Amino acid sequence: MGNVLISGGRVLDPASGLDKEADVAIRDGRIAAIGRDLSTADARVIQARGKLVVPGLIDPHVHLREPGQEHKETLATGSAAAVSGGFTTVCCMPNTTPALDSPEMVGFIETRARQTAACRIFAVGAATKGRKGEELAEIQLMAKAGAVGFSDDGDCIASAGMMLRVLAAVKQTGLAFQQHCQEPTLTKGSSMHAGEVSIRLGLTGWPRVAEELIIERDVRLNRAIGCRYHVQHISSGESVEIVRRARAAGQPVSAEASPHHLLLTHEACDGYNTSAKMNPPLRERSDVEALRRGVADGTITVLATDHAPHSADEKALPFEEAPFGIVGLETALPLYAEALIHTGLIDWPRMIALMTIEPARLCGLDRAGLGQLKVGGPGDVTVIDPEAEWTIRAADFPGKSRNTPFEGRKVKGRAIATVVGGIVRHGAGLQAN
Amino acid sequence: MKPTVPAETSVSGKSRRGVVWTRRGMLGLQGVSAGEIRLILEKARALSPVANRPETRTGELAGRTVATLFFEDSTRTKTSFALAARRMSAEVIDLPMGTSSVNKGETLVDTARTVEAMGVSALVVRARQSGAAEMIAGAVKCAVFNAGDGKHEHPTQGLLDAYTIAEAHGRLEDFDLSGLTVAIVGDVVSSRVARSGIAALGALGARVVCSGPPGMAPASLASLGCAVTNDFDSVIGAADVVMMLRIQFERQEEGKGGVAEGKGPEAKARMSGIVSVHEYRELYGLTRERAGRMKKGSVVMHPGPMNRGIEIDGEVADGERSVVLRQVANGVAVRMAALGVCGVGTV
Repeated sequence: MGNVLISGGRVLDPASGLDKEADVAIRDGRIAAIGRDLSTADARVIQARGKLVVPGLIDPHVHLREPGQEHKETLATGSAAAVSGGFTTVCCMPNTTPALDSPEMVGFIETRARQTAACRIFAVGAATKGRKGEELAEIQLMAKAGAVGFSDDGDCIASAGMMLRVLAAVKQTGLAFQQHCQEPTLTKGSSMHAGEVSIRLGLTGWPRVAEELIIERDVRLNRAIGCRYHVQHISSGESVEIVRRARAAGQPVSAEASPHHLLLTHEACDGYNTSAKMNPPLRERSDVEALRRGVADGTITVLATDHAPHSADEKALPFEEAPFGIVGLETALPLYAEALIHTGLIDWPRMIALMTIEPARLCGLDRAGLGQLKVGGPGDVTVIDPEAEWTIRAADFPGKSRNTPFEGRKVKGRAIATVVGGIVRHGAGLQAN
Repeated sequence: MKPTVPAETSVSGKSRRGVVWTRRGMLGLQGVSAGEIRLILEKARALSPVANRPETRTGELAGRTVATLFFEDSTRTKTSFALAARRMSAEVIDLPMGTSSVNKGETLVDTARTVEAMGVSALVVRARQSGAAEMIAGAVKCAVFNAGDGKHEHPTQGLLDAYTIAEAHGRLEDFDLSGLTVAIVGDVVSSRVARSGIAALGALGARVVCSGPPGMAPASLASLGCAVTNDFDSVIGAADVVMMLRIQFERQEEGKGGVAEGKGPEAKARMSGIVSVHEYRELYGLTRERAGRMKKGSVVMHPGPMNRGIEIDGEVADGERSVVLRQVANGVAVRMAALGVCGVGTV
């Protein structure tokens, strides 16, 4: 068990700059060798000629709904979705019921993941108790218990006073604080981007400035503190510029972009399409372009799906009452490729970096050797067929929920094998040696 | 925009110009052509001699059943639709939904499907959620008429307003409203009456100017094809029609800084998103003084129910320029025409 030979692929490891045709041998769950003409006894062989062999993909931002909303997703089903999309590690957000706001809850995720999950799962702890933004949570103890970052995701830490305390506390852990940037008094009752479509549909609009304001504020608050500060699911073109300036000034600021914000606009909400309802909302073409430029010039360094499963019944409610969010793990890889590679903005090695070593660094997982291909490191490897053409069909998703705006979309690029700790968790056409 | 119709199956109306209404039911007026709007208005004109006479009936919808499904309280619209259906000889059933079905947890769509399964030709739907009528239309086979969905549309109101303007300005012959300026004043951004009105009046050639406080008449409304000004006094003298919207004291508006503290009219005013009744009336009320600056031949409209003394002075509402009761009267003819043209007869 735990022996796999991935044969003859183009091996890409952005962390070390490796990009050459080679075999990757995994023994006892760890990478044993990278080189030509390797052979391993008792190994499952994955033929990878013409394919990309990359470090297991990492999604630093998913909602797995366990505990409390297991009708939408569980660690088991969410991790099945993850490996089907090529992900070997995901970081789950703390907006569960109860919230992941204590070392015990972080421990619960670790235990449940070990018992039920098909991939590695790490918890992002809530920064405040119950994610209410009122009292600090036990941030230091959660960090010791294995939390890989802190966020009240789903809600913004709106109070500047509380934000200052959170930044100081998270700074002490060396981890990053991840902000859901939404000034709440500007988005009361809002269900989609404030623009022509919301005006036409008679829906209360959600202005870009609600996001920009929080980033500006936090960057300023953080100057004296220097906590690692990460902007989740960036949606506004102007926000990208704020992050760019902060980074240019040497501040420890980073940002992530989701597949939907890199591809879709508010037009997708037409016809009151709840599959296109998300937080932050889909914006305009100019924002999509600005986000893509942000990825291309290195302002946005992390790709994250914000995988947010909801049941069909919940998404069948009237637009304003339906929950925010879409699933993303099953479809992310080809959608990123469509937005970033097929447009010529970046190449495969860079995109793989944005999905491996960069999110690993964000969450401190690089120290455990995740997000890279290193002899002796974890045997987490994804094999990608960059030419595979397929059509997105939600009915085939291994996750529990089907809420995607990409149903029926023809895409290119697919994970054909996902190996987690030397165990093949996803893959067709495998051969025994 | 995308068509706001579930299926283009029914062709039950045809004008002398050869325009046909190709939609089943009526969900909204955005994106509807001038030809289609005129088709209904012409039929309303033909029906108007009988529309407001209790002793008359046309046989056009004999054997049909129209169900009124109002998830939000309304008296005038429901009564107007019911009278219109009866005067076309349809049977009318009213399902007093109130909020009861919502309290029992049933969805809008389930309720609509349940009613349809009992055998009805058309559903007349009102709900507080934008998009509700379109959602229901996508789930049932019978014709759906939107009698107001949240802040989105109220298409028969838009049509009756267009009809009333044509009547007041001698345009009943061709329903060509070009050259006329219509001011729509109040909480435009939250108004389904305004959205349907802007679409219909614009399609028929009128120039629409929206006015109200910045939170209620934001510049972004211009994408609907109207002009926007926060200075009501700058348009009052140029308008051929001044259409006042109701301040919805009963609805606590989100996102406008509304606060629900305290009691009395001023607290209610803050809840509805205005600074004070006094300031609102000073700047945006159609007071007697302001009405005195309206141009010759211009008329005053209001979809009702009116807050006398707030958005409109009683003297103006009852005055010689007021066509408020003509709106109500024309509503029956327009709804008869809509039911007749838009597919009830074909199920």
